[in-house]
Amino acid sequence: MNRLENELKKALERVEPPAGFAERVLARAARVGDEKPVRSRRWLELFGFGVTGMGGLRWAAACALCVVLAASGVIYERDMQRRRGEEAKDQVMLALRITGSKLQIAEQSLKELDSGGQPQQ
Amino acid sequence: MKRIGIIIALLFAVQWPAAAQDWDPGGALKKLSAKASKAIDVTLDQSMLQFAGAFLDSKDPDQAQAKKIISNMKGIYVHSFEFEKAGEYSEDDVTPLRAPLKEPLWSRIVNVRSKHEGQNVEVYFKKEDGKFTGLVVIATEPTELTFVDIIGPINPDDFRRLGGQFGIPKVEIDQDPAGKKGETK
Repeated sequence: MNRLENELKKALERVEPPAGFAERVLARAARVGDEKPVRSRRWLELFGFGVTGMGGLRWAAACALCVVLAASGVIYERDMQRRRGEEAKDQVMLALRITGSKLQIAEQSLKELDSGGQPQQ
Repeated sequence: MKRIGIIIALLFAVQWPAAAQDWDPGGALKKLSAKASKAIDVTLDQSMLQFAGAFLDSKDPDQAQAKKIISNMKGIYVHSFEFEKAGEYSEDDVTPLRAPLKEPLWSRIVNVRSKHEGQNVEVYFKKEDGKFTGLVVIATEPTELTFVDIIGPINPDDFRRLGGQFGIPKVEIDQDPAGKKGETK
């Protein structure tokens, strides 16, 4: 055995890890899993450049929801306007019918008088 | 302090003629409404009339005529009350409705009183600057009372043309307010 061989054997000799090394490694691995994403990447995810691509989908869903809500609001407002208009129209027709019916009574009485009927005193 | 007094006085001076023109029979109507078993209240101011006009169908003859009538109207107020039995309202309840309808502004052109059926109809027209600007109808029956107040320029021809529509007769309206046509009192 020459000197080189002795040096290699010494270098590659099995060395026992320090006490508690395995526990520390496992604990650190567990911590890494719980860590939140890096803050600087959040805005990228918002615009669809996130690692998973889920941010873009959420953004699109939010936009679609806004459009649906806005459209629903417009449709509801138009429907309410139409209902109010129909109610107002019905009220006009009712008012004219009531007025007409009372004028009809007056006219009938006048006709009776004109035709020489007995005046209703 | 003096200035505030002057401003208040000016405000009253501006408001008073308007209040005098817009006759409010609200108190008398409230009393009647409290006694009635059924009440119909139609209150349409100018903005509501314009709004309703947009929904009236010009192809329908009745609605087309209504649209024409209300086009220049400032307000239509109809209050109709039904009572359980005769005597639930009295002449004293009706008198306040009639009180502001005085000459020369107002003319009663029809006053039909039927003792037999107990039906009474009074028709009043308001005339300003030679034009009809208001119509009031007070119709009473033993168990019913109807008060109609139409504000705005009224063309008697429109009412004549309404014969057969809405049940409105071709009422002969005398242009002369002094000629109380058809008064049968």
